[in-house]
Amino acid sequence: MQAQGVQVTGHVTGADDGTALPGVSVVVRGTTIGAVTDFEGNYSITAPDASVTLMFSFVGMLTQEIALEGKTIVDVVLESTSMELDEVVVTALGVSREKKSLGYSVQEVDGDEVSGTAQSNFAASLSGRVSGVQVKAPNTMGGSSNVLIRGSTSITGNNQPLYVIDGVPVDNSNYATGSDGWGGYDYGNVAQDINPNDIESISVLKGAAASALYGSRAANGVILVTTKKGKTRKGIGVSVNSNFMVGSIDKSTLPQQQFEYGANYGPFYEDPTKNFFYGDVDGDGTNDLIVPTSEDASWGAKFDPNLMVVHWDALDPAADNYGEKRPWMAPPEGNRMPSFFENSTIWVNTVAFDGGNRDGRFRLSYTNHDESGILPNSELKKNTVNFSGSYNFGKKLTVSANVTYNNQKTTGRMGTGYDGGNVMQSFGQWFQTNVDFERLQEYESPTGLHRTWNYRYWTPDNLTPIFFDNPYWVRYKNYNDDYRNRVLGYVSADYKFSDWLTMTLRSSIDTYADVQNERIAMGSTDTPSFTTRQRNLMESNTDLMLKFNENFGNISLTGLVGANYRHRQQQRITGNTVGGLVVPELYTVSNSVSPMNVTEYLGILGEQSLYGNVSVGYGGFVYIEGTARMDQSSTLKSINPDADDTYFYPSIAGTLLIHELGGLKDVTWMNYLKLRLNYAKVGAATGVYRTISTYDQGTNWGNMALFSVAGTLQNPNLRPEFTNSIELGLEAYFFESRLGIDLAVYQTNSFDQIFDVPVSRASGYNRMFVNGGEMENRGLEVALHLVPVKTANFTWNIDVNWFTNQNTVVSLAEGVTSLQLMSAWDVKITAAEGEPYGTIKGTDYVYTDGKTTVMDNGYLMVGDDPLAVLGNVQPDWNMGIANRLSWKGLSLYALVDMQSGGDIYSINTKYGQATGVYAETVGNNPKGNPMRDPVDEGGGNIFEGAVFEDGTPNDVYVPAYRWGRYWYYNNSPTARYVFDASYVKLRELSLTYSLPASVLGNGVIRGVDIALVGRNLWIISKNVEHFDPEVILTAGNRQGIEQGAYPTVKTFGINVKLNF
Amino acid sequence: MKMKNIYLLILVLGVLVSACELPDNVDPKSATDVPAETLMANALRDGLRHLDQMNQNVNVSRLMCQHNSMMQYPEPSRYEFSDRQIPDGYWNTTYLVLQDLREVRLLIQDLSGSESFNRNLANKMAIVDIIEVLMIHNLIDILGDIPYTDALGGFDNKTPAYDDAATIYNDLLARLGTDIATLNAGINDGSWGSEDLVYGGDVAMWKKFAATVKLRLGMRLADTNSAAAQSELAMALTAGVLEAGEVMQLPWIGVSPHVNTINDVFIVANRTDYAPSLTIVSLMEGLNDPRMDNFFSQVDTSSETDVEKWAYVGLKYGLSSNESYPNYSHFSDPMFAGDFPATFACYAEVQFLLAEAAARGYTTPMSAQEHYEAGITESILFWNGTEDEAVTYIAEAGVAYDAARWKELIGTQKWLAQYNRGNEGWCTSRIFDWPVMDPPEDMTQEDIPSRLPFPYNEPDLNLENYTAAAAAIGGDDVRTLLFWDVKHNSATPSPN
Repeated sequence: MQAQGVQVTGHVTGADDGTALPGVSVVVRGTTIGAVTDFEGNYSITAPDASVTLMFSFVGMLTQEIALEGKTIVDVVLESTSMELDEVVVTALGVSREKKSLGYSVQEVDGDEVSGTAQSNFAASLSGRVSGVQVKAPNTMGGSSNVLIRGSTSITGNNQPLYVIDGVPVDNSNYATGSDGWGGYDYGNVAQDINPNDIESISVLKGAAASALYGSRAANGVILVTTKKGKTRKGIGVSVNSNFMVGSIDKSTLPQQQFEYGANYGPFYEDPTKNFFYGDVDGDGTNDLIVPTSEDASWGAKFDPNLMVVHWDALDPAADNYGEKRPWMAPPEGNRMPSFFENSTIWVNTVAFDGGNRDGRFRLSYTNHDESGILPNSELKKNTVNFSGSYNFGKKLTVSANVTYNNQKTTGRMGTGYDGGNVMQSFGQWFQTNVDFERLQEYESPTGLHRTWNYRYWTPDNLTPIFFDNPYWVRYKNYNDDYRNRVLGYVSADYKFSDWLTMTLRSSIDTYADVQNERIAMGSTDTPSFTTRQRNLMESNTDLMLKFNENFGNISLTGLVGANYRHRQQQRITGNTVGGLVVPELYTVSNSVSPMNVTEYLGILGEQSLYGNVSVGYGGFVYIEGTARMDQSSTLKSINPDADDTYFYPSIAGTLLIHELGGLKDVTWMNYLKLRLNYAKVGAATGVYRTISTYDQGTNWGNMALFSVAGTLQNPNLRPEFTNSIELGLEAYFFESRLGIDLAVYQTNSFDQIFDVPVSRASGYNRMFVNGGEMENRGLEVALHLVPVKTANFTWNIDVNWFTNQNTVVSLAEGVTSLQLMSAWDVKITAAEGEPYGTIKGTDYVYTDGKTTVMDNGYLMVGDDPLAVLGNVQPDWNMGIANRLSWKGLSLYALVDMQSGGDIYSINTKYGQATGVYAETVGNNPKGNPMRDPVDEGGGNIFEGAVFEDGTPNDVYVPAYRWGRYWYYNNSPTARYVFDASYVKLRELSLTYSLPASVLGNGVIRGVDIALVGRNLWIISKNVEHFDPEVILTAGNRQGIEQGAYPTVKTFGINVKLNF
Repeated sequence: MKMKNIYLLILVLGVLVSACELPDNVDPKSATDVPAETLMANALRDGLRHLDQMNQNVNVSRLMCQHNSMMQYPEPSRYEFSDRQIPDGYWNTTYLVLQDLREVRLLIQDLSGSESFNRNLANKMAIVDIIEVLMIHNLIDILGDIPYTDALGGFDNKTPAYDDAATIYNDLLARLGTDIATLNAGINDGSWGSEDLVYGGDVAMWKKFAATVKLRLGMRLADTNSAAAQSELAMALTAGVLEAGEVMQLPWIGVSPHVNTINDVFIVANRTDYAPSLTIVSLMEGLNDPRMDNFFSQVDTSSETDVEKWAYVGLKYGLSSNESYPNYSHFSDPMFAGDFPATFACYAEVQFLLAEAAARGYTTPMSAQEHYEAGITESILFWNGTEDEAVTYIAEAGVAYDAARWKELIGTQKWLAQYNRGNEGWCTSRIFDWPVMDPPEDMTQEDIPSRLPFPYNEPDLNLENYTAAAAAIGGDDVRTLLFWDVKHNSATPSPN
């Protein structure tokens, strides 16, 4: 039989790397005539005639149509869709899986996206990029990141995800001190040691089903980092990446100070005007007006150029200007508080070499990170060397190893919380706005004495700080430093028994030594001291896994069984001086006035586990996967012989690829439609030493040891805690994948939680460890992918991540209906039955007909209930919108990140208003008179819109001219300082240019990318004055409090990438 | 792959799992067993430090009785306790100490031996009991009803019920009676050693102290249960109370953190938050009190250069403003010393208790006037004054005894003698309603508290029992009177 029609042949390659594409479907449009490319990407098809059009389609590629127009050889280059439908993702235990077969939610982020802006903590870069992931950070250099995946699940325990790098769990201890808000330093959480420049990609495993194989530690989700590896190539590839960023503070996030009135607490001082200290400084026989240095408030005299006053800097007899009088005026614009902040700089340079052939591959990289912060005397330096390699010993055995050495040294970490070590406590709460910052820079007299605006009194023997050190003294004298050396790595052997069965033995370690040193110099407000904390961590994990993967006709079978042994040893020695330093400027623990204090901690934990999973697929469109794990943990060992330290938990997930079903296969506008459903149970043990009580030791009384019953009662009957989760998801791509959507709804219940429930001290204890309590999280996540425009040269991509998480504390322990995560400054952050976690409570306004009510004296009435619900830490929803416009080699990227809802209690605002430091404490009242004038002279202020108890409108003016009046009357309701924490931010903006190959030619340089990048450049909208609503104290469960917050830093810079 | 290999693999897996012995779950850096002596010393140190505490975050008695005023952050002296959760601090430390003492009992209760050994052990238990009574009555005197029979239940009772304060008082008095009898029986059998930081195990002194506390608590009942007061008085005197020159004191070793709480606050923590109140300074000035030098420092009040004008300057109580530390008097220099001892009972207190008893017509060794004058003399001597100073002082118009004004005179002098003893000072000002307290700025006598509110954490942690206790005492209000408190002075009207 003679063939009819036209024989057409050709070769199909992918645009990305030019490799041949096997399996591409070639169809004559409008017919059922078709063919498939072979292994070399070649095809042959017989068309009815030479005028037809051929359609080339392949999963993950944009379908192309080409009219034959008489041609008989048609070579095609297929471009990938931006959403790779057939992509392979890294899942639990580092196992690569086809994404389409997964019955749970995994979202990936490209490594370039987290390294582009040179963040010292890469987790911050996830904000807005992954739905379901909330990231908050306290604006401190090298500080902690609070990362929540699908909300908080643990009532008092850790809610941070597990970080895993190439299958190796990474310690993420939070070493920030002062999470209670009473002061400390933000040393950060240590997963930030992961070098962004070594990251190839990040997989975020959100639900319990995704992370069930990791067991206990993964109950809060997993951030799975895959590092860059060497590639098979000719010769050795070299790439260089340089990033330089400059940061400046966003002044809209600073406390907004007033500059109309200066220091004091109100008119009750010594001079005739009652605003100043009064004494003869210059010895001319007449009394001078002297700034009331002891006062950390600004309710004082109105600035007046004709009023001559002795300022703080003229009180030191050793000063050149001793006794000098200057006009009573605000400092010049450039010498005010914002001038204290410096521009930050970050230099990150990476060089990497890689190479590989049939038998082996390697990559070696070095990164240097050199950062200076916004505060004087702050710098952070990091060096990272990473080596990874693998070698095939014959066809069956592959050995790979990966080792990262990392050191960091930081000087001048930023103090946090309500403490003099945090300069913001003074700037935002307790300050004199007459202070000139240029003069503050001379913080030490020639004789070494501390010069501060906050002298005890003006007389020479009282020139010592009373409440606040000079902020420059804080930064240059009372600085801290810390350093850490860390080694992280693994060796792994893969033995291929056959095509379908592989055994993997992998051993990993994560070990570091960390040292923190803190100083208080002689002459400071606080007792001079030196504290050192030295920590060692060693965690090892050994896994033996048997992986299998086989197809039986239409049935595919893949899975593994394995065993894990985990050993963790954490040691800490803290030493501090007591009662002061003997020799000035000698910072050793033994330089202690009273006997030094040394405490030790040693935590040893062991866990062993058996686990397995199996995924069965049928026909490439339906998959069922199950996992099971059994753990035994040393932390549940107890003196109670009945205690069970072994626990088991399973998960099951199902996937249906609807687009593969008969009848739907040919619907061309629908490329992909996947339904997934999973249920998982995850068990968890607890921290070390919670089953046996011990005594607390105090400082010896002479040579007598002192012991006390510990405030926390340990429990010999602890059981493992469990989390149940169910998730339903839908993934779909339409119209050549130009519209993609990924939906997930889930419910997670964490119950039988092990936590130290606070109890009435009359029971003999503060807290008792119990099993109890249940938290529920329900959420909806939407990831949307849009390509509104796509032409040969121009593409516009939009990625939207929107998510909401509704949390409820279902129950607490027996007899406990509410517990306080934090209680201070008249506010309580609580977890109470039936309420969301992190509910903000305190006293409320009293409402009459919906209006705030004042007493007859014009001051606010305060509700009786000290635990009125005033708000909640958790947002209503979060959203990230990323737009990328690409035109030839030019790409513009903008990420807008927003939060709707959530509340924050601002202690700065409360005290900054009370002390008359803030801008709203000046200006005119509704009568048009200065509000700081006495009420009987038409001044004062009024709670407008408020009513008296009988409902009549408030017409009483109250004083606004001294401490506490109006702005913080002794009993303003807590509600007055609770604010909406919503924001919209331009999180990232970048413009990247890749030099085209035609420019580079065939020279040594194979690729050049230049990017201008910016981060946190613009807060598009927020509802608070004086601070950034996104700030936190530090990572952890005590959220919803603004306390001496630092301003947000806008960073901007350039990133150059060269490939050789 | 051969089946043999699979068996081999399963074997390897099995070995890997079973070979690993998990580490123990016992904290290697903390003690699981300690000698009872170390807990005893700690309980005494913590408990007595607490009763003496200068720091307003946990104990505001020095402010409530107006021996001191607040110079900075005046809120606590203006009866705002919620910001700092002051009652919580007080309550927490009390139960912490009681818990340590309970542990001491548990550790020694099963010991037994010779008769003398057993009496020694009984003495130890009795001393523990006396300290418990001291801690408990001090907590009652500040709050009213407190958890007592249900307290310290651990897992078995996380939410202890409150007991009626008067009932607890009766039990405390009975316990003291038993303790006195026990100590009397074993008077020569010894007790604790150097871990008894107060008396070094001196059984006779503990017995005297127990009798003194019995006298104190008995006399607290005078207004509400006169018969009980008289019988307790008689029992205390029979047992033998503290005698001239005898004190119950904690001798601080003067090395931080074991320093006098004044030293701790002003020197170690470098705070300047307090000054002697105008209430006490002006009262003593009016009486030409010879103890002023020993109580206070002076400041130069001259506004002229080269002219010095030294004077005692008290800080008016309860101002809403912040004041300058150098402008006011402070504690006298010796009181700042780290090893300045803290006092919890003394002969002067005994004399004032007896003076009150005599004035009420109870049977006492001497007349009211004699006891009154003996109390004043003892106090002046205690503060390093002389007999002559005492004689002159007792003759002062505002000091000389006058039976018609016994409440005012005894109350005032007892309150002065209790300077630097905030807890007892506050009890005295409430019992006698003398001297008249100075209402804080913008407040009246009616705003002056008779107690502190229950701990702010209790509604959260123990709601049902808290609610019942609040109802039982007549409302968790600072103006609710304690069961032993009856208003006498017309200047301090009873709230209604």
